[in-house]
Amino acid sequence: MASRESGRQKDASSRRILDESARRRRARKALEALEQDNFHDDPHANLVMSKKAPKFEESLDGSRNKDRKRRTRSSEYFKQRFRKTFTILLEEEQALYPDGPNYLTVQAPSSKRPERRLCAVCGFPAPYTCIPCGSRYCSTKCLSTHEDTRCLKWTA
Amino acid sequence: MANVFILDNGAYTIKAGFSNQNEPRIMPNAIMKAKSERRRPFIADQIEDCRDASGLFYILPFQKGYLVNWDIQKTVWDYVFGKDVFNVNHSNTTMIVTEPYLNFTSTQEALSEIFFEEYEVDALLRINAGDLSVHKYHRDRPRELCCLLVESGFSFTHIVPYIQGKKQKDAILRVDVGGKVLTNHLKELISYRQLNVMDETYVINQVKEDVCFVSLDYNTDMRTARDGKQANHILRDYVLPDFTTIKRGYVRPLEESTGKSTAGEQLIRLNNERFAIPELLFHPSDVGIQEMGITEAIVHSINKCPEETRPHLYRNILLTGGNCNFPMFKDRVFKDVQSMAPDEFDVNVTLAKNPSTYCWRGGAAISRSAHFPEMLVTKKEWEEDGFNICQERFSV
Ligand SMILES: [Zn+2]
Ligand SMILES: [Zn+2]
Repeated sequence: MASRESGRQKDASSRRILDESARRRRARKALEALEQDNFHDDPHANLVMSKKAPKFEESLDGSRNKDRKRRTRSSEYFKQRFRKTFTILLEEEQALYPDGPNYLTVQAPSSKRPERRLCAVCGFPAPYTCIPCGSRYCSTKCLSTHEDTRCLKWTA
Repeated sequence: MANVFILDNGAYTIKAGFSNQNEPRIMPNAIMKAKSERRRPFIADQIEDCRDASGLFYILPFQKGYLVNWDIQKTVWDYVFGKDVFNVNHSNTTMIVTEPYLNFTSTQEALSEIFFEEYEVDALLRINAGDLSVHKYHRDRPRELCCLLVESGFSFTHIVPYIQGKKQKDAILRVDVGGKVLTNHLKELISYRQLNVMDETYVINQVKEDVCFVSLDYNTDMRTARDGKQANHILRDYVLPDFTTIKRGYVRPLEESTGKSTAGEQLIRLNNERFAIPELLFHPSDVGIQEMGITEAIVHSINKCPEETRPHLYRNILLTGGNCNFPMFKDRVFKDVQSMAPDEFDVNVTLAKNPSTYCWRGGAAISRSAHFPEMLVTKKEWEEDGFNICQERFSV
């Protein structure tokens, strides 16, 4: 009884299939990673620095300089004055020039060429599609690497 | 006559210098921190003092190609203008500053304010980097009427037609692939296939510059790369720097690319990555970016222009920006565009000499042109009319 139960469970999980929205989420996450500007987390965010050494924040606002007051104020001033995220800037611009041309209107339209099918593991042309997740693969070797490393193992 | 200082303020590098120099200085537009020297942030070219660039962390003033982080930017500018680098005396200096296409209005306002109020420059010209490049192009070829500019930088690639020197804003196209996406993707591929280099942006960016090339025949190159050892002339070993004995990474020549380390040095192998990475510029959909590639966008953009200008645009395609340094880039653009252009049109592609600094040299050229004084906003005009006069005179 118990063994049949677990057997059925295992069977069900091997037939698990990522739905369309999960696939889209995954694709979006991959694109965001490619878009990253600051690349990776600050490796020293938690480091305690020596007291004698100038701290990053200090040298940023110029407190080691002689004209300390003016530069400190101006740095702070500009921070306050121009504190706008990319998203806010984009919304403002859209409101100012709804008909464009603006950032959104000049984005290149999608290509008319067929999409290439490339192996998610090795990057070579890939004739097959992984049924659970929709990735492409070129060979049984790459499929098994894909299953062991990504496929349903990614939680997106 | 006041000094003219040209600041080509890129999202990844600044190209800067006085107009009487031959070439600008190029430095990162960033503050960087290294694992090896935890106590010291490196501003712009101070990174040259950093002996161990492993795990180098960038703090950039730009996001998606637009200036958002003003305190970082101000820190970098203060350093560049300061006594350690150019020692700019702003009160007798005319400043040329570049901006991305269709820069946000509030950013334009902030830029004007900073240069007039904070640095107190004598006169200002805010202009698209591409306008400077096209100015230079026409100066060298006075008989040509049009120019189709391709500017491929860190954040993205813009395709911009200019007709008699005037940019056609309605025909601008942006492809969201630039050097950043290429480096990030290479980092990801190497990390998944060979060795975790996710924290090594600086090193992998060098790998990209050292080994990548643009394919002229993608399918053949794919077959070659897949082939056995003998026929594969694409495969290369790359020796990673260890920052003690090997200060900078380098490619092994084909015959030494055995996959074996001889003295404990760390190797990565580059095969189809060598051309699959730059290929994203031509096929963004390879990584799921649903946009046209550069060459398809060139044709699309030209087709948005008046019919009588199209033969002129096909004849004057100008390539600028760091990505144009990939070997075969120009040949690929020519090959693709020619295959798509109407038969009766000649296609001519010019790769800017030193594509990263071409725009800066355009700035130097424009500062010597007869019309230059009319393009500027002076300190006096700013004091009288403020941002309005900037909006009238500058067109970004
Ligand atoms: Zn494969
Ligand atoms: Zn899968």
